Amino acid sequence: MHISLKNRIKKDKKAKFGIIIVCVFVLISVFGPILVKDPYHFSIDYLRLPVAGHILGTNDLGQDVFARLVYGMRASLLVAISAGFLSTAIGTIIGTLSGFIGGAFDKVMMRIVDAFLVIPAIIFIMLVAAFLKPGIMTLIILISLFHWQGGAKIIRGQTLSLKNKNHIVSSRTFGAKKPYVLMRHIIPDLGNILVVSFIYNARAAIFLEAGLAFIGIANLSTISLGIIMHNAMKFYYLPVWIWWLVPPGIALSLILLSLTFIGTLIEKIIDPRLRNA
Amino acid sequence: MLKVENLVTRYGEKRILNKMSFKLDKGETISVIGESGTGKSTLGFAVLGMIGEVSENSKVEGKIEIDGFDINKLDKEDLRKLRWKKVSIVMQNIDDALNPTITVYKQIEEVLDKQENRNKKIIDILKKIDFPLNRKDAYPHQLSMGERQKILIAMAFISNPEVVVLDEPTSSLDTETKNKIIAIIKKLSENKAVILLTHDISMAKKLSNRTLVLYGGTTVEYAETKKLFKNPRHPYSRGLIRSYPDSSRTKDLQGIRGRAEFVKTGCPFYKRCTQAIDICSIKKPKLLKRNGSFIACHRGGIIPLIKMEKISKNFGKLQILNSINLTLFEGETVTILGKSGAGKTTLAKILMGLVEKDSGNIYLENKEVKRFDAEYYKKVQMVFQDTRSSLSHRMKILDIVMEPLVVQDIGTRQQRTGKAKKVLSEVQLPSSRSFLNEYPHHLSGGEIQRIVIARALMLEPKLLIADEPTSALDASVQAKILKLLNNIQENRGLAILFITHDLDLAKKVSDRIVKLENGIIS
Repeated sequence: MHISLKNRIKKDKKAKFGIIIVCVFVLISVFGPILVKDPYHFSIDYLRLPVAGHILGTNDLGQDVFARLVYGMRASLLVAISAGFLSTAIGTIIGTLSGFIGGAFDKVMMRIVDAFLVIPAIIFIMLVAAFLKPGIMTLIILISLFHWQGGAKIIRGQTLSLKNKNHIVSSRTFGAKKPYVLMRHIIPDLGNILVVSFIYNARAAIFLEAGLAFIGIANLSTISLGIIMHNAMKFYYLPVWIWWLVPPGIALSLILLSLTFIGTLIEKIIDPRLRNA
Repeated sequence: MLKVENLVTRYGEKRILNKMSFKLDKGETISVIGESGTGKSTLGFAVLGMIGEVSENSKVEGKIEIDGFDINKLDKEDLRKLRWKKVSIVMQNIDDALNPTITVYKQIEEVLDKQENRNKKIIDILKKIDFPLNRKDAYPHQLSMGERQKILIAMAFISNPEVVVLDEPTSSLDTETKNKIIAIIKKLSENKAVILLTHDISMAKKLSNRTLVLYGGTTVEYAETKKLFKNPRHPYSRGLIRSYPDSSRTKDLQGIRGRAEFVKTGCPFYKRCTQAIDICSIKKPKLLKRNGSFIACHRGGIIPLIKMEKISKNFGKLQILNSINLTLFEGETVTILGKSGAGKTTLAKILMGLVEKDSGNIYLENKEVKRFDAEYYKKVQMVFQDTRSSLSHRMKILDIVMEPLVVQDIGTRQQRTGKAKKVLSEVQLPSSRSFLNEYPHHLSGGEIQRIVIARALMLEPKLLIADEPTSALDASVQAKILKLLNNIQENRGLAILFITHDLDLAKKVSDRIVKLENGIIS
């Protein structure tokens, strides 16, 4: 199971691309706000096409679109990391406990997971979001609450198979109690799957957040890529709208694509059968 | 005829024999066995009343009665008269025992003193011992070892004594000569009381009807010879028998750990005993009668370590184990032999608490096992069949080996590391820093096997269950691992439940083999 991550990345062009893009995103999100203008700053210089000083022009309130794009990327990344982490954590807790404890607890938990799997998450989130008009934080929690079930099911299956692996059985024959086995053996052994689960959850979260904002179910006073695009749609009769729509769209596509590539790479590392595919 | 009661002998401060007692009737032979230095020869000298002549500051207490005479109360002159006529000895050292300047005929004649019919008696005995008559005038140096030994035997038996002491009568002889001598002794010793002092177990087996095991001048076990050799009950007796080559036993030879040491208090054997408990170092055990033989052991002899009683297991309608009864004693290897699917591993897993039994009881050191808890796992450990997979690929060697201590929360990290290093060297692995930081997938199959054994030994278990521990290894590595297990058993008194389908292997490693077939043990 020991694979040099470095060599794997070197061989995989897509993964290299993905990692570079994610790094760029992270850099922009961290340092961008120092370099760009205040995205909330109103001016009378509104609905401008790109000029010097406003690389992507200005919006209907005279705010700098480029600055808003940078802040939007920051928001997207925040959603990705937080929702990805939160939903993976919920999935891990429920998945490992179900698999490890088994019995009635497992049965009840899996029926709950099934229930969550059949409820169309998007519609549910849309309903709740339409009512709450959530900010970023509420949205993160909302997304996480409806996005852990798939991961939980995979983690449970993996826990079931790990539980009967010889090295874990061995630790029980030293007198190890369940919490020890879970914390010292099962969760570390799940590592790769948790990373994949995190990446896919993060990807879904970005997409969901952007989608909800784009159709207007979000607190429109916040800044995110989806909201910038949502605003563009209101001015489709003016030439400026294309500058509001396309750059966030490209940024969104790039980050989603990158995360997919990285996810695939890690999946390949976990499952040797995929390596030559 | 011969009665020894509470015999104590001392050379200076050192007590050689410690309260020995036994009785011997006409026609009986008793073997006294034990390692060198346990006081066998001293017993021989004491019976002849020669202790005073061996060492000046020696002391003898207790009673040695031959035909009504108490040897210890006779004066020198009476003793001299008694010797050869009532009691005689065949000395251990053949070279020095005969006078090199006179012929062997004359030497035998000396024993008879001035009796009549000397010539006839001598010729008679020479015929009995199968000595060529034309060589009766030879000097000792002209004779072979076997012939000299025969002369010594003739001297001991010629005056028809009632008690004969044989001190290593056949050491340094080849097997053929030895067998001849044994036959001669057997013929001559009818109607006599014979004490055979030896460390040669095969001779003790052939010649004696009772055997006394001597350790540190103390009788540790005293029983009928057949019974004792078939089923020794004292750990020392077993160790002694195990270390003696015997063609009927296929298991490798094992010694007894440590070396003979003089012990002031407690059981003389406790320092070398693998099942010693606190009391063994404080109080000397009494020689007590148990099941027809005498044993001096606080634990009543070798203890039954684990006992399975009527263990049954079904998987659905399939019966795997049907009322299995099996007892494992401390320090022995029992092999469970059976085909694949016979239920060998299931039985092992039941013992490890990994599979639940349908019915039956398990007893560990005579206490019923109700829960498989940390305390239980301290005493019972297992080496799994697929050893490589029983190591976590994420962990380094040191962490793997230390894990049992971490789980049981024993010691500080430093102590754990120290212990891990010690155990690793016990299984002949390096304990260098670079090795400890390796990952298991960098190691060979043989090394992995040793790691797994080391890990199982970390808790100092009393029972090791080894499920096909060498099935994945080549023959030479397998040999090394088996030897290793054998040595560990010798040093720690570890009982091993060995599981295999290989009969030859089973014969080589085990004291007992049980066959598991159709869920039944035979």
